[in-house]
Amino acid sequence: MYKRTRIFDLNYYKFVGSWAWILHRLSGLALIFYLTLHIWVINTLTMGPEKFERVIQFLSSPLFKFLEVGLWGVILYHAFNGVRVVIVDFFKGSLVHKKLFVVLIAIAFVLWALGSYLLISHIQW
Amino acid sequence: MKKTFRESSKAGAIAWLLQRVTAVLLFIGLIYHFVYYHFISKGVYPWKEVVARMQSPWFNLLQFVFLAAALFHGLNGVWMVTEDYIHGKIWRMIIFCLILFVGLALFFVGILTIFKIQSVK
Repeated sequence: MYKRTRIFDLNYYKFVGSWAWILHRLSGLALIFYLTLHIWVINTLTMGPEKFERVIQFLSSPLFKFLEVGLWGVILYHAFNGVRVVIVDFFKGSLVHKKLFVVLIAIAFVLWALGSYLLISHIQW
Repeated sequence: MKKTFRESSKAGAIAWLLQRVTAVLLFIGLIYHFVYYHFISKGVYPWKEVVARMQSPWFNLLQFVFLAAALFHGLNGVWMVTEDYIHGKIWRMIIFCLILFVGLALFFVGILTIFKIQSVK
C-alpha cells in the first residue's frame, strides 16, 4: 500500500514550498468557478444587447468591483507561482525555489496593487 | 505488502506536459486579457463593440485556443487534486466522469457562443 496524502498533516506546512503549493491549489479551484461564470457571461452576448447590458450593469456594482480586485490577486498569485513551478520543472529552479517565490510574489504584489487601484478608480459610486 | 503505483506509471506524463504548455499560453493570454478588458476598457463593455470584435476570424481562433487551454488546465488541475486525495477506484471514476461532463458542457457552451455570435447583428 502506498502512503496516502493527509490533508491535515501539519508537518507539511512549515516550508515556503508547501504553502506555495496549497495556495496554488486553492487559487486554482477558485479560478475554475470563475471560469464557469465567465463562460456564462460571454454567452449572454448572444441574447441581445439588453440582456448583456443588464448582466454587465449587475457586475459593475462596487461589490463585484471589490471581488474583481480579489480575482486579480488570485489570478496573479496562481500565474506567478505557476511561473515558479515551470522554472522548477524545466530550468533547475528547485535550487532557488524559495528565492524565486519571494521575487515572483513581490512582482505579483506590485501588479496587484497597481491593478486594484485602477479597478477601484473605475467604480461609479 | 505489494506496492502499486499503477496510476502514476501508466499515464499522466502527457497531461503533466500539457498542463505546463497551457500554463504558459494562459499566462500570456490572461495577463493581456485582464489588462485590456479590465483596465484599459475601464469596465465599460458596449455590446456592439464586443460583438464586432468577436466576429473577427483571428479573435475567434484566439478564443477557441483560449477556451480549450483554460478548460483543460482547470479541469486537469481538479483531476490532479482528486488523484491526491481520492483513492477509491469507483470514486475516482465518478469524479472523472463528472469532470469530463462539466468540461464538455462548458466547451459546448463556449463553442456555441462563438458560432452564434457570428450571425448576431
